[in-house]
Amino acid sequence: MENIQMLLKQGAVGKPCAPIVAVGDKVKRGQLIATPTGLGANVHSSVAGEVIEITDDRIIIKPNAKQPKTFVKIKKGSNLEMIKEAGIIGQGGAGFPTFIKIYNGKEDKPVLDHGYILVNASECEPGLAHNIAQIDADPEMLLRGMHYVMDIAGADKGIIAIKKKHRETIEKLDALLKDDPAIERHLLPDIYPMGEERAVVRECLGIELEPDKLPSAANAVVINSETVYSCAKAIEEQKPLIDKNITVRGMIKGGNEAHVFMDVPVGRSVQALIDEAGGFDERGYGEIIMGGSFTGKACELGDPITKATGAILVTRQFRDLKGAKVGILVCACGGNLERMEDLVKKYNGTVGHVCYCKQAVEMPNGSIKCERPGNCPGQVKNNLEFKKAGCEYIIIGNCSDCSNTVMASGPKMGLKVMHMTDLAMMAVGHPLYRTLKVSKKVDQDLNVVDNVEDNETVE
Amino acid sequence: MSITAETAKAHANDPAVLCCRAEAGTELTPANFEDPAIFPDLVDSGLLNLDGALTIGQVLNGSKLTKTVDSLTPVTADIVDKFDAAEGAAEEAPAEAPAEAAPAAAAPAFAAPAVGGMISLHIGEGKNIDIQIPAGIGGGAVAAPAAAAAVPAAAAAPAAAEETGEAVVVREMTRKHYKIDKVVLGDETKIEGTTLYVRKAAATEGAEAQKLVHSLELDVITPDNYHVYSETVMDIQPIATKEGDDELGEGVTRVLDGVVMVVTGITEEGVQVGEFGSSEGYIDENMMWGRPGAVDKGEIMIRAHAVIDNKKNMERPGPIAIHTAVDHVTQEIRNAMKKDLTDEQVVETQTMKQVRRPGKKKIVIVKEIMGQGAMHDNFLFPTEPVGVLGAKPNVDLGNVPVAANPLEVMDGCIHALTCIGPASKEMSRHYWREPLVYEAIHDDDVDLVGVIFVGSPQANTDKFYVSRRLGQMVESMNVDGAFVTTEGFGNNHVDFTSHIEQIGKRGVPVVGFSFCAVQGALVTGNQYCDAMIDNNKSMSGIENEVLACNTLCHEDAIRGLAMLKAKMAGEKIKAPERKYTHAVKEANVELIEKAYGKKMELVDNEQALPMSEKRKAKYD
Repeated sequence: MENIQMLLKQGAVGKPCAPIVAVGDKVKRGQLIATPTGLGANVHSSVAGEVIEITDDRIIIKPNAKQPKTFVKIKKGSNLEMIKEAGIIGQGGAGFPTFIKIYNGKEDKPVLDHGYILVNASECEPGLAHNIAQIDADPEMLLRGMHYVMDIAGADKGIIAIKKKHRETIEKLDALLKDDPAIERHLLPDIYPMGEERAVVRECLGIELEPDKLPSAANAVVINSETVYSCAKAIEEQKPLIDKNITVRGMIKGGNEAHVFMDVPVGRSVQALIDEAGGFDERGYGEIIMGGSFTGKACELGDPITKATGAILVTRQFRDLKGAKVGILVCACGGNLERMEDLVKKYNGTVGHVCYCKQAVEMPNGSIKCERPGNCPGQVKNNLEFKKAGCEYIIIGNCSDCSNTVMASGPKMGLKVMHMTDLAMMAVGHPLYRTLKVSKKVDQDLNVVDNVEDNETVE
Repeated sequence: MSITAETAKAHANDPAVLCCRAEAGTELTPANFEDPAIFPDLVDSGLLNLDGALTIGQVLNGSKLTKTVDSLTPVTADIVDKFDAAEGAAEEAPAEAPAEAAPAAAAPAFAAPAVGGMISLHIGEGKNIDIQIPAGIGGGAVAAPAAAAAVPAAAAAPAAAEETGEAVVVREMTRKHYKIDKVVLGDETKIEGTTLYVRKAAATEGAEAQKLVHSLELDVITPDNYHVYSETVMDIQPIATKEGDDELGEGVTRVLDGVVMVVTGITEEGVQVGEFGSSEGYIDENMMWGRPGAVDKGEIMIRAHAVIDNKKNMERPGPIAIHTAVDHVTQEIRNAMKKDLTDEQVVETQTMKQVRRPGKKKIVIVKEIMGQGAMHDNFLFPTEPVGVLGAKPNVDLGNVPVAANPLEVMDGCIHALTCIGPASKEMSRHYWREPLVYEAIHDDDVDLVGVIFVGSPQANTDKFYVSRRLGQMVESMNVDGAFVTTEGFGNNHVDFTSHIEQIGKRGVPVVGFSFCAVQGALVTGNQYCDAMIDNNKSMSGIENEVLACNTLCHEDAIRGLAMLKAKMAGEKIKAPERKYTHAVKEANVELIEKAYGKKMELVDNEQALPMSEKRKAKYD
């Protein structure tokens, strides 16, 4: 195994942890190696080995040739204490420490007032498969995990939000839910975005939250399904969060099916996972995205996965736009301006104009959020601006609904529309985000077939 | 873009078009509709066919879609379950001037609200409507021979104030004019009779004190030969000084008539110190004589030409160094004025009064000045008129709004370092004779409470920061109306329109002034940008690099006052034509002439100047 790199900051939020080991130390799998200095969660070694280097942002461990399946157990305590001790952070992307999300320090007044735990099992980013695979393999543990979390957070109800297309998995859940009146499931349409936390709240509870509001404003906590499993494992198996489920997919030798790796030690490199999936497709590739194609970032082969990494996507090769003017439409669903500019550069285009979706609202921390995720506010005005600025192409990162609106006027104006996910979608064999033909609503009865036309197929 | 309930109400009689895909069964709400303000562009580009479309008002009453339709589909009878009968449109129309288009509730963000907009003058409002238009306003008077030129109409002030009988004089200031008809460069700075001697070495000393200035040279350009080549004109400044310890806007100001300072600059490599065009060329071909900020025909120019470090033309320290070096020369002249001039030499004395008119509509003038850094800055409140000492750079003040009284403005409280497009930039002399301040303080129908200067910072976050402060300041003034003016175009329009929004959303009617026309079309807009005066004078509606061509003149100020009065009286301002046309301004002028029974003289544009090679090649 290659050297393992444990980042001191595992999620996108919070402060880096401080190492509590030194170079030369022998560490066991599951041993605590770094502790929080502010907002953050414990970091445990995912392998048995020797610490060979500590830099500002990571601890590098040379793994022993033989790796045990077992791990150093966290000490027993209350369920909340064990979730905290296990270093669990949200595994849906942002990596917010779970114990802070579900507990506010007040014994008698939990974060929710008889509220809801909403489990995000939407597997929102297209082409990913590890969340549903995990639920499919062991639905019982998901329900047990939900009850642990519900108890801590003060929730009376749990709702599993899952896309209707996963029929077999839903049937397994339904069989169990018959005997569990506190938990139900909510079916989602197969469009993007469904996993944005305010979208989950809206879909499950019918409450539309302002961009600056947290789900707690709707008396709810949204938690990723894999995170629920990690909580259950911490409580039942005393297991720290050291392994991660990952989807590797795209321009991989042998085809574009999803390679789902369960329990990959955190800190393994992108290169190692691609190798295990079969290596690069000989036709070459464009970029490697760590995370989903909408919200992920381009990464290097040597980069390590973290507790919050869900996928490694290898995209098609970039087309050469030969310096053509490209308009960028920035919205909260897709990449930020920096990511979009990077893509334009990789396409060898020139940024001709930048517009922001009307619903993209800047938050105090500089990030942008969508006012009504998945419901378009209209885009033709932006297209007129792009046209006026002389753009030949536009690149968008919009949701299914907004992409559809862009398409309603863009091509007629002579704008060539590209979606930031195109090369990834081609690589994984997913329809491109262009026009929307499926309904944004689905019937909650699994047996009712919804009014669904097919989305455009690849190329 | 989806619209709000308010916008939907304003556009109740416009076609209903879906902004986005909507599924069968959807009950239509304002969020489903595209903004009608952009329909003309969509129809033009063939994206939209409005045939058979129901109006927004017809389908907001619980109408549901009977089939799933895509973005930009007009709502027609066959895709909704029900709709209200058409009404309203026919009844309301005659109440407004029939020939006009519907009022623009929201200015489309990409198209300029363009000129003027059509005004309906409400003559019944306010008795005694009597705008004092000085004979030969604008081009006429200010282009008159030197002696009479400086502030031709200010003398009308006391008369106007007294006539109302209710005006309260807040403060007074006196301008003593001294005639200069000859300027000699020599070994000493002094004034003898009507001859001004300027010590040549003062320029060298000024340059030596500034690290970035390589050289500063003086020469004199006289009316008998204006066909002189000049590098880009950075600023034109009156030569004036305060008497004794008098402060700006109070006491006595001495001013030289018939002579002005002209600041020009290039870098060592020969790059003009200017952005978005420069006015280099023969002066008689590039100077829009008689504009408030420009030189008047007949005046002598003392040209101070600076050469600065390469690359410093676009950095704030460069222009600051030039202006500071030039002021070393001007200050020496000011000192001579204090020492050498006697009351016997005064050719004209003006008493300028700041009057308030209690009971009349209270208005405020907001002047957006450049503060992007780079070369764009202004010195605020120097000790001497248009001086440097004692002033604070606008950029260093964080561009936040700063209040001034009208007399401070006319006494040179702004030393302009602006280097934006020559045709639209407001130079120091512009403020010294600011037409809007002048017209507003002499307008018996309004009570001018003061002038606010607000800088235009570079970053958008800073723009909105100062804009919010401005809105709050205006709110606290409790005014009935406001003007917002700007120089330049493009970047600064972001805060310009934001200022209008911040004031407008507090329920205060606003009229904006800017050069827009063809080239300077607003890059952004909002629902409060519905009353605009276009300062354009150029034939083709462009930044033609003719100095001060498209700056705010008396004729603009008069139109703006009429428009604001109409707006404060609750009159609707008609939307302009979609494409810029002089016709809107002309129609507005005609309306005003009819209402006031007075002829408005309009100023010349670049077509009155000899054609320069540059104009021939680049413009018209």
